Formats: sequence, C-alpha cells, structure tokens
Amino acid sequence: MGANASMYQKLDFKKIKGVYYPKTEEEAQAAIKQAREKGFDVTPKGGGSGLSGACTGGNQKRFFISSLQMKEILAISMAGGYADVQPGATPDEVNAKLDPLGMRFWVAPSSRDVATVGGLVSTDGGGNDTWINGTMRDNMLSVNILTYEGHHLNVDKNGVKSSNAELASELNKKGMNLDDISGSHGTLGFITEIRVIIKPIRKTKTIGALIQFEDYDAMGAGILQTIDQECPVEYGEAIVMAHEDVREDLSPPLLILEFPKDFELVFCNAKVREISRKELIRLQEMRINLPKRNPNVGTQIGLFEGYGLHGDNLENMGNTISEIDAVLIEHNLIPFEKYGHAPSKWYLGDNSPAYGLVMHSREIRPEGKTGNELYRAVEDIVKKCEELNVTPKPEHKWLYSDEVKKARIQELRAVIGGSFNSFMFEPDCASETLSSMV
Amino acid sequence: MFDVTGEEQYSPRGKIYLLQVMDQIEEDKELAKDFRRTLFQCTLCGKCDETCESGVDLLMIWHQQRAKAIDTAPEDFAYLDPLKEALANVKNIYGLAAEDRAIYWLDELEDEIPGLEDRVYEKGKTADNMVFLGCLMSFRGSQMDVLKSLFQTLEKLEVDYLVMGSEENCCGHPLYLTGNETGAEELREHNKKVMKDAQAKNVITCCPGCLIQLRNHHNLEGIEALHHTEFFDRLLETIPKYDQKEPLAYHDPCELHRILEITKEPRSLLDKLGVEYKEMELSCCGGGGLLRMSDPNLSDKIIELRKAREGIQNTTVLTACPSCREQLLSTNLNTKDIVELLFDALEGGGE
Repeated sequence: MGANASMYQKLDFKKIKGVYYPKTEEEAQAAIKQAREKGFDVTPKGGGSGLSGACTGGNQKRFFISSLQMKEILAISMAGGYADVQPGATPDEVNAKLDPLGMRFWVAPSSRDVATVGGLVSTDGGGNDTWINGTMRDNMLSVNILTYEGHHLNVDKNGVKSSNAELASELNKKGMNLDDISGSHGTLGFITEIRVIIKPIRKTKTIGALIQFEDYDAMGAGILQTIDQECPVEYGEAIVMAHEDVREDLSPPLLILEFPKDFELVFCNAKVREISRKELIRLQEMRINLPKRNPNVGTQIGLFEGYGLHGDNLENMGNTISEIDAVLIEHNLIPFEKYGHAPSKWYLGDNSPAYGLVMHSREIRPEGKTGNELYRAVEDIVKKCEELNVTPKPEHKWLYSDEVKKARIQELRAVIGGSFNSFMFEPDCASETLSSMV
Repeated sequence: MFDVTGEEQYSPRGKIYLLQVMDQIEEDKELAKDFRRTLFQCTLCGKCDETCESGVDLLMIWHQQRAKAIDTAPEDFAYLDPLKEALANVKNIYGLAAEDRAIYWLDELEDEIPGLEDRVYEKGKTADNMVFLGCLMSFRGSQMDVLKSLFQTLEKLEVDYLVMGSEENCCGHPLYLTGNETGAEELREHNKKVMKDAQAKNVITCCPGCLIQLRNHHNLEGIEALHHTEFFDRLLETIPKYDQKEPLAYHDPCELHRILEITKEPRSLLDKLGVEYKEMELSCCGGGGLLRMSDPNLSDKIIELRKAREGIQNTTVLTACPSCREQLLSTNLNTKDIVELLFDALEGGGE
C-alpha cells in the first residue's frame, strides 16, 4: 500500500497499521474512527499516479484509506451541469457515463485511466489542456470530506457547511473554501464525494502543427506568443530536450500543438509545419512514451517533476534550463529529456493562477547513487528554481517550496484537527523522512 | 485483476511495492501469509510488465517467489497437493489413468474421422508432425469441437501427423507455474523422448501453455514447436472464405501474445478466412496462472467483468487457447477456436 509514481518508493511496512477500502462514506467514517481511537495518522490514497509522494504517508504509524472501491457516479444533472462522483472514479470512468449524454468532465491528465477524481482534487491536477480547461479546482463545484474528528464537511467556493455548526462557523471565519481543498494533498481529510462540472462535448474542427525553434529562447518567446494571442490550444506538448536514444526523428526544442482550424496563430522565428491527424496521434503517443524509454546505456529516472515558467521568465528559458542542468551535472546526474505541457495553467499557494510551460525533467542516474544523494539534488534544484523565479510545480512539489499554501493548511488544521498526512508538516519540509524514502 | 478487486496489491505498481515486503516477511507471520496468498492471486498474464515502465521482470520474480512460498509454507498450499500427486502418478492434471488420454476423444470422433485410431502414436510409428494435445484437450468434453476440427483439418490437408495419445505426459506447465522446475523437468524428459522416437520435425499444439513449455523449456533438438495457428498459417497461403453469419470478436490469449509473442498468425488466418471481427481488449480471461485453483471466485469475477465490459453477449468469441475457451464457456459465451472456422471454410469449399 502506498504505491505511487513519485521517487519516494521505500516504505517501512511495519508502520502501516491498517489498510481500508471503504465503499461508502459510513465505512470511511468507521475507518477514521478506528485510527482516531488508536492514535494513528490517516493517509488518503487514490490511484497512485501522483508524483508528490504525499500518498505514501511518510513514516508515521498510520492507516491507509483507499478510495479505489468508491467508484460510483452517484448522480448526473444535465440541467445543473454537474455530476456527483465518489472519489475513486477515474476521469475515464466518469466520461464513459457522460459520453452517451453528449457531456464531458474536462479534466484529462495523461493518467486519466488510473488517476482518481479524489486524487485530482488533492493535487489540483489537470492534463495538458489546463490552458483551456483549467485544473481540477476550475472543474468542480463542491467536495465532501470527513475530518479526523469524524465531522462531515461540504465545501464549495463560498464556504463550508456541516452538521457541526460551530465547526462550520469557525472554518467560515477563516474563509475556508474549495481553493483550500484543491492541492491539499490529503492533509485536511478524506474526500468522500465531489460535484464535478460537466459541459457539452465540443465539436471544433482542429488542425495539428509541429513548430520547431532555433533555440530555447525562441521557444520561450513562441510560447509567450501563443499565450498573448490567447490561442485556444486543444492539445499542447513541448519537448525541450530528448536523448538521442529516444528522440527518433524529432529535433527539439519543439512544440506539438492542436488548435481550432479557423484560429490564425502567428509565430516569429519558428518553422511551422501543419501535420496530419495521423502524425499528430503518432507524436502524442511518442510524447506519452518518452518517460517509459530508457537510454541504451544507464537508467532513466524521473528525478524532478515539473517546474513552471511564466511571464517574463519564458524568455529566459535557455538560461533557466542551463542553470538547472548545471545543478544536475554538479550532482553527477545526466540530463536525459525534458518535455511538458505548453502552454499550461496552475495555481500558486495564494490561489492566484500562473500560466506558462509546465516542464518535466528526466535524468540518467549513475550507478551507486544513493536515495539520499538524489534527494539532496532535488533540494538544490528547488533552491535554484526559487533563485531563478521559476515555480516548482505546486501540484507536485508544493510541500518543499510553497510556504504560503503550507501555512494556510496549518491554519485550517488548527481548527479541523490534524492527523491526516501529518508528516508533511515535519520540520524542514519532512526532509529527513522523504530522503529516506528515495 | 486490479479492476476486479480495486485493491492496490494487484496493480503493477502495487506489485512492485510488494517486493519490498519480501524483505520483511521473515519477521511477520501474518504479512508472510498474506504475501504468499497474493503471489497465487495472479494469472501470470504478463500484463504488468507491459503496463509498468519500471523494467522489473515481475513474471520471473513471481515464478521464483511462488516456488519459495511453497517451500516455506507447504501447509498454505494444500489445495495444490492433488495436482502434484496426479502429475507425479498419472502425468495428467486430472488424476485419470494415463492410458485414457486417447480414449475419450477417440470414442467420440473415430466414426466421423476414419483412421483416427491409426494416428495415435505407438512405439515404432513415425510422422513429420506430432500433435501434442495437452491435458485439457485430451480429457475435457468441452474441447471436443476444437479437437474434431483440428483432426479434420489435418486430414483434409493430408498432413503427415501422429497424436501422442497415452504416451503424452503433461507438458509441465502447471508445475512450472508453481515454481516446481524439477517436477516439470521429469515430465518433459519423457515427451522429448517420444517426439524424438517418432522422428517428428514439428510438434503442434493448440494450447499456449503447452507451447511455452515445448518451445522454451523442452530443449527440443531439431523439432520445432508450433502453435496450431502458426502451423496452418504457414501451410495455407490462401483459404476459402468463411461463410460468416454471426458477429465475431477475437480474444487473444495472454500466453500466446505476451509470453510467446505470437500475434500475427492468428490474425493472418482470420484475414485469409475473410472474416470481420472485433479485437477484444488485450486482457486476461482469468484462467491463467493456476488462478482457477488458488482463487476460483476471483477467476470468475475476471471473466464476468470482461463479458460486461466488452458487450459480447451476442457475439461468438474466437480464441486459440483451450484454457481461455473453458473460461468463456463458463460464463455462457459462444466461443470457437480459429481452427473451427478454418475447417468450416475448407469443408464448405467457400469462394
């Protein structure tokens, strides 16, 4: 239990004191009650496609409560434009129910067949179309959660409702709303139901394009031009660097874009080539497969996932990449590939939106490198990002760097009562625990 | 498996995590028991390796750990004892008399296929092709239609063949799936000798499990082990068109496409037959990895889920594996082996 896609893979199983797969809110309530009575922490768990490591629960004596058997689509309101879903349903499962109705839930991470809606709330996740469709917080109306003390909260954008009026009043005084639940990484409670926004399936005629740039600076400028022109990008990927063993016929830096046929997108200093639907699909598959490919020599690792570039920083992309690569090389890690979503949107800890490129970086790990050494490399990259005014992607890494979000959650936990994923509030960003888990 | 249970230890990533438990089971008896049970709640279909990017050879690890689990706690696996005893004593999984391997189907088919009795191997007989039926096809009445089409096709095409009959031992696959390499090897030795004595150039089987053993573990020298779809696809450049009257779907057996990587030949035959068919998801039927013995309820749930998801109630499901056939029949689906279509087409004359 605790399997996830992060680099935090080593668990002390003796500290896992119980694993629960509730099917109903009542069963989840009973599991939390047991944890409370025994004084154990609780770690909520979804599909395990997350990259933060939050769903490992660190090294606390803890219960896992999985949402994997809470998969029901409880209600669909076409008129109201929403569906009520249990947290363990995946976007694909929700959309399988909505498709015959001509409706869609517009959050589509590449792991949409595995990632749960509850997990997407906890990470404020989204797909490579967040630029147009937003993140999870833009696609939900309310969330039901169970607190450690066993209280049921209904949280929407206006505030909190609960049968415990005193608790609701306290939380409303603090201004708690959906923004707080979004990206809270299971620290506030166990999500039991989400009202997600559904919208009609669009029928826009689109075209695909492969845009090649001379260098990183030109690419950064190109992304900025896409944003400035408010291009409604349906699909966007950026491949900034790829090892020769895996890049096939592509020569990064490049963008793969799909946007409405009647939109006139203009790029300066770039080679733009319209591509057929077949080629677009091939490139999409290639991009999805990039993390799965290994170099001919060495092993590829996903060391650090996601740093956003936005505003003026886009034009400094070349410098940024060089600086981050220098940190990697200093730690004896060989930069392997960099790809991501472009343009994209995410939220900062103060709930303001940021726009830009969300980039993933993969490196080749030399023989003998310890988990602790890798963790130190991550810390240095985060420091470097802060120095460069680059955002470590909050849905993945806020626990290291986003003090604003962390402080806000601590403020709310003081009212709600703690013991959900408490490890994330350990001193020095849980550095000791996390470094032992790499 | 993960879709059926909704429990993490059955997902590819969950299995990788379980490997960490291996280091801790010495000290925790309950954990050890759970771990051993989980090892056998797996169809060994190979899909984890395909899905997971870690590059960890889970199939190999599961084989090794199964062997270790049985060694460490044989009391947990008492349900496998009858199988082990049957294979030791009568060399088939059903515990039936070894000489009965060529009795049931011969009784049923000899009127329709004159001379079939002469095709049964006896010392001194030789043929280019040896048919290895495997335990399921030798003993199960539910396999009779496939068997009949197989023999009729071989006769129609005037193939020089023998059937191993009572000289056939189990291929060893069930023991291999429990990690019992020694027991499997004893069974294989006899099979090798028979095939050599018969001077066979090919050994043909309809069972992917048997083929894994024949091709990868029998160390046959100068004898090529072939799936029946491979044999017929090589033999027949063109085939009369099959007179298709029903919707068809192809369920590709896991052991055939993932372990043996035989993917082209079954589809090539179907194309030559001119049939239109839907490709089913490349997922297990629930019949592999001894799951029918270790957890029959789970096995049933898997095929029920497949049936519900694929919407195939009114479709004939084509497959090329006797074990998959048993699973499909168990959930009241119409099913045919590709060789049944092949013989119908050959017999019908077609276009």
